[in-house]
Amino acid sequence: MLAEKYADRIEKIFSKYPDKRSGIMDLLYLAQEEYGWLSEDTLREVAALCDVDPTQAHSIAGFYTMFSEKPKGTYWLQVCTDLPCALRGADQFYQELCAYLDVDDGGTTSDGLFTVEQVMCLAACDKAPMLQCNFHYYENLDMDIIKGLIEQWRAQAQQEAAE
Amino acid sequence: MEHILLRDLDIPDIWQFDTYMANGGYDGLKKAVADHTPDEVIQIVMDSNLRGRGGAGFPTGRKWSFIPKDAEIKYVTVNADESEPGTFKDRQLLEKNPHQVLEGSLITAYAIQATAVYIYCRGEFWDLAHELEVRIEEARAANLLGENILGTDWSCDVHIHLGAGAYICGEESALLNSLQGLLGQPRVRPPFPAQHGGGLYYQPTVVNNVETLANVPWILLNGAEAYRSIGTPESPGPKIFCMSGHVEKPGNYELPLGITFRELIYEHAGGIPNGKELKAILPSGASGPVLVATDEVLDSPLTYESVEALGSTLGSASFILMDEDTDMVWAAAKMNHFFKHESCGKCTPCREGTFWLDRVYERLLRGEGTARDLTILENVPRQMQGVTLCALGDFAANPVLSTVTQFRAEYERYIQSPEPAAASNMPDAAR
Amino acid sequence: MAETVTITIDGQQFQVPKGINLVDAAKMSGTDIPVFCYHPKMDPVGMCRMCLVELGSVVTNRETGEPDVDDNGDPVVRWFPKLQTACTQTVSEGMVVRGATQRVRDARDDILEFILTSHPLDCPICDKGGECPLQNLTMAYGPGESRFVFDDKIRLDKHVPLGDLIYLDRERCIQCARCTRFCDEVVGDDVLAFHERGRRLQIVTISDPPFDTKFSGNTTDICPVGALTTADFRFGARPWELDEVPSICPHCPVGCNISASTRLDRDFGGKKVIKRIMPRQNEHVNEIWICDKGRFGHHHARAEERLTTPLLRRGDEWVAVDWDTAYSEIAGRLKKAGDNVAFLAGNNLSNEDLWELRKLAHRTSNTPRLGVWPAFMTGADAVAQAGVGTGTRLQDMGPDSAILVIASDFEEEAPVWWLQVKQAADRGAKVVVANGRPTKLDRYATEVVHYEYGDAVAVLNSFAARARSKNKIDADFTARVDGAAELEAELKGTRVPFADAAETLLDAEDLVIFAGGEGLTLDQHRELMQAAANLLLLTGHAGKPNNGLVPVWPGANLQGAFDLGFSAETTAALADQPPTVWFIGSADPAAEDAALVQSLANAEFVVVSTQFMTPTAAHANVILPAQSFAEREGTFTNGMRRVQRFYTAQGPVGDTLPEWRIYANIGARLGGDKPRISAALVMRDITQNVPRYAAMAYPALAAVEKQFPDVGGDDLYYGGTAYTNTGGLGIQWPANAEDESARLQVRPVQLDGYQIEGLFAVPVRVLYDRSTLFEQSEMMHTHVPEPFAEINNQDAAHIGIVDGEVIRLNVNGAQHLLTARVNGQAPAGVVLVPQLLSKTPIVIGPAACAIEKIGE
Repeated sequence: MLAEKYADRIEKIFSKYPDKRSGIMDLLYLAQEEYGWLSEDTLREVAALCDVDPTQAHSIAGFYTMFSEKPKGTYWLQVCTDLPCALRGADQFYQELCAYLDVDDGGTTSDGLFTVEQVMCLAACDKAPMLQCNFHYYENLDMDIIKGLIEQWRAQAQQEAAE
Repeated sequence: MEHILLRDLDIPDIWQFDTYMANGGYDGLKKAVADHTPDEVIQIVMDSNLRGRGGAGFPTGRKWSFIPKDAEIKYVTVNADESEPGTFKDRQLLEKNPHQVLEGSLITAYAIQATAVYIYCRGEFWDLAHELEVRIEEARAANLLGENILGTDWSCDVHIHLGAGAYICGEESALLNSLQGLLGQPRVRPPFPAQHGGGLYYQPTVVNNVETLANVPWILLNGAEAYRSIGTPESPGPKIFCMSGHVEKPGNYELPLGITFRELIYEHAGGIPNGKELKAILPSGASGPVLVATDEVLDSPLTYESVEALGSTLGSASFILMDEDTDMVWAAAKMNHFFKHESCGKCTPCREGTFWLDRVYERLLRGEGTARDLTILENVPRQMQGVTLCALGDFAANPVLSTVTQFRAEYERYIQSPEPAAASNMPDAAR
Repeated sequence: MAETVTITIDGQQFQVPKGINLVDAAKMSGTDIPVFCYHPKMDPVGMCRMCLVELGSVVTNRETGEPDVDDNGDPVVRWFPKLQTACTQTVSEGMVVRGATQRVRDARDDILEFILTSHPLDCPICDKGGECPLQNLTMAYGPGESRFVFDDKIRLDKHVPLGDLIYLDRERCIQCARCTRFCDEVVGDDVLAFHERGRRLQIVTISDPPFDTKFSGNTTDICPVGALTTADFRFGARPWELDEVPSICPHCPVGCNISASTRLDRDFGGKKVIKRIMPRQNEHVNEIWICDKGRFGHHHARAEERLTTPLLRRGDEWVAVDWDTAYSEIAGRLKKAGDNVAFLAGNNLSNEDLWELRKLAHRTSNTPRLGVWPAFMTGADAVAQAGVGTGTRLQDMGPDSAILVIASDFEEEAPVWWLQVKQAADRGAKVVVANGRPTKLDRYATEVVHYEYGDAVAVLNSFAARARSKNKIDADFTARVDGAAELEAELKGTRVPFADAAETLLDAEDLVIFAGGEGLTLDQHRELMQAAANLLLLTGHAGKPNNGLVPVWPGANLQGAFDLGFSAETTAALADQPPTVWFIGSADPAAEDAALVQSLANAEFVVVSTQFMTPTAAHANVILPAQSFAEREGTFTNGMRRVQRFYTAQGPVGDTLPEWRIYANIGARLGGDKPRISAALVMRDITQNVPRYAAMAYPALAAVEKQFPDVGGDDLYYGGTAYTNTGGLGIQWPANAEDESARLQVRPVQLDGYQIEGLFAVPVRVLYDRSTLFEQSEMMHTHVPEPFAEINNQDAAHIGIVDGEVIRLNVNGAQHLLTARVNGQAPAGVVLVPQLLSKTPIVIGPAACAIEKIGE
């Protein structure tokens, strides 16, 4: 349970705001970090912490693209294919990435390691093609660089699984 | 010339507290607090004629002056939800020169006697926001924020609120809702954020863009007059231009307002790659009308007024450049898709219009477009203009309308059948 | 009249109240500004954009203050360059509106085209078809044909249950947020919300239980399309086949005005049947809201279990007989019994029934025993003196008002009053909630008082003491109150344990007290009502609108029963002096009171008029099949003393008769007059014999006047579906305090608590129960809990029981197996026992009890 495990962080979140409801986005992030995604049970847990009806937590989670109400791969790759990036080859980069990982648009690799999605502008237009992996920026990419990164991530995942 | 905003280009370590302090850091705040009353600070910023850098260009000092003096609780909210396609200046400021933004927000907070500053960072600025928290603690340790700032009886805390992926939260009232844990949809205005009932937690609130605030310390230190000497009288000060798309040297450029398109594109940003011709310019990201890169345009000065005279808007000065090979129908479809994705759904014209247009573009790009679709592309954006709850509906109309009118031939190439498809909006049962 | 301003709409000038919404102002002036999202009972949100108008204001000369005029002498108008949404404007002096120009028409056409793009054209199979705002406005606006390609349409789920009462069709939804705003703003249960965004924006709930509010049905009325439908009515009938019959909800003291939508129905042998219950506008009573019990609790009217013929007991068997046989049998018995008869009136007999029952009783004795059921509340005399002033409207109560709700679980006992008090609190009214335990209204209270059960009278009395010590006595008013000086002297030195709550009430301009009966003995309740009257009369909060006492009677017409001479004290006295003959009109005491079961079993002869075979009827010698509220005319008097008519909605079931006619027929056999031929004539008798009812003749009760907001009529777009009030607004009888020449009385109250040692049981009332009529609505059964007892956490821990465990409750010498609820709500030492969750009586008033754990 978040309340016990992250008591300090939760208290710090609530201390920022005059009401508990304002903490809902931070808590959804915390829950997503903990559980990987936001299941209905998780939404209930967050709602109880913020003193709102579970439906309200569901609503907030559904409005924003960075909250996921479905499980994602261990590495959630969000490739910007908006116009400025696309003018610098992001569409092609995205297609090649999907092909390389053998997934469809928005899909997750069969080993559950990678989810690949297109997203809207990430404010890195000058460094396209680029993506976010679990919210960290990787910029000025090409297929060689991303293949290297993917190998690193795979190795990292294997190592974590071994531990 | 030394940079006023992108000081990291001159002093790479300026993000570090000590470096910032060694280079006059927080002197603007100290001066404001020591030498000026809050009202004087507002007056100085009014005199500087600093205009909001978020896109609308509203005079910053006037915005502050709207805050009712009798309000007990007041807030400053920093709009760091930078999400306009082609815009990446606030990110650089927050990453590379964060203390200057903090200082600017604290001066603002002092001017309106706010009790708290909330920095609304778009969620994707995940790493940046967590770094920024460290910067805030550095400033707190130096008594530059928190309790009894610089020994005065004014206290003000600074908090970061992370968005989670919604362009609409850059709209100030949607931002406030989002901060309050409500759905990030715009509010009915009036009351405006500065008014009772309109701001954060319904208290009077100043909402300013990151770049706007980054100007403020310099203005306090150097005075309004010095600031007005940069740029043009109506649009004074330095402006960060974000250069992206088909451009040799993409990135941010801090230049005085009033330079020409040509200077910006060819002298500073290195021109168009591969010796291609420049075809079209989006001077304010996806939300402003596209400009055909004629000589008239290229020789125009970059001020809020002149770009408007050309039929577009300077907005946040996010330049997306497109070379001669760019398919403008494809580009417009991309932009409309963005707005369809980002429409909050609250009001009818934007929700339905962007969706409808998206479907039409899909069909067009599949080669199944009809003549009727072309009229829809002309009509539907007009039906959205001027009637939506916030500006997103107007923004969304711009790329479609401006490309349909200026690049019509490109659209016509996509139309296979000259006959309109039969409208067959019949219930399932009847089909 | 409030301050007015002059506005111009399409060239015509109107005077309208300053600061009201422009859409409302236009409507008031007879101009329609079409809306989908705006609703006159909720805050504007500017979402649908249908109400676009050209908006301007008259330019006034700064020096002269006079309007500038142009060359033609017309005022100069400064127009907004863009069209504005009318719903987000409040009217101000000099506002000029154009709503009929081509520019406006075009803009509205455009909006409508947008709304229709993905909206399914399934009107022929849509429940809303025929009374649909979108359908109607599409006839008035919008292009004749669609430019939207059908295959482009978004596809969404079409049959989404939001709980088991309301269904959602996501394709029909036009994202107006009326339903989510109703839940959040009006009711305060924010169990509906939008999910996703843009065109994928859709209504969801994951609340548990889903869509858990007692007012969910109202969302289907205000939904401007067929997106929300009720499980009761969906696919049930087409609106144009329905006859709307004005009626009054028979379930609680609010007296909500309802409309029974009826039609001839194949499933009921081609007979007329109620297909649905809709709210009917009465701004003095329920405005345009009703609760789900009222909406869905009508199925008893055509239930298969209805009794259809008189029944005579022959040994262990029931024999169907004709009315004459039944009447003769009863008349003979009554004649013999003389003074040995007790008459018991149920809480939803009509005034006409009560009058004829009373007349019948007087045929048997000069001093007949006329009791009410249930009989745990009394104090009609306090109501007669200090009852809430005529013209009271809870919706007018705001920052200057205070409302005390004492000894009531208000949402369970009077849902629509709860809703209105909650909204008053939202508007700034000070609400004090006083009870022996937390209730839902606590959320909205300025002050919450949790007294020990038994101390309710003392608490209310102490408020009067505070009024004295804080100089809040209204000397002008008390000049006509007998006993005021003596009472004040008595109050001197009284301890005031909840001083903040007292002062919250005393500082307000207007004060209304809602008094229930939870946790009180009948004697205590008489004192509670007197204490309320004392407080109100001493402080002058009586005799005017929005001031005074409102009893939260159990049932729709106990007020009428008290008005016509029945009393709870008489019922109470029957325990010590049981009659040999019982005559019971639509009451089921055997389901609630174990002592009475014995009494009935011992009786020589029992007559019961009833719609159903109840535990009480099981003791009867003769059962008289009565008509439901749907089959006859009549009147109920609500808790605010408003006498309201209900009309015949369907034909009779079997040989049933209205109870007034049954009683009159028996009376005729005892030498009385021939029965009147109609309820109207019975009421005429009442008007001639009961001074308070002198004005209550049927035509007067049927009078209607224009109400604001003007939500009735065909322009469904504005308020929603079916609110037209053609049946009458009813008439309130004035309390004595309203007659300035009348002398009023106060007296010191008895403050005695209980003499109960240890754990004790307190009966409480729940909205969704297994009472005779309501249990016939099968669709509500999932909402009725199994019989349970709520136990304090520490007490439960001490006994070793946990939430959900089945326990044995020993009370009044009987044992009951009940599910334990341990949820922190029950105070220490108290076991809360909801009434009527089963047909077995448990406890009727506060009583000592014990709880046992049942083995391992």
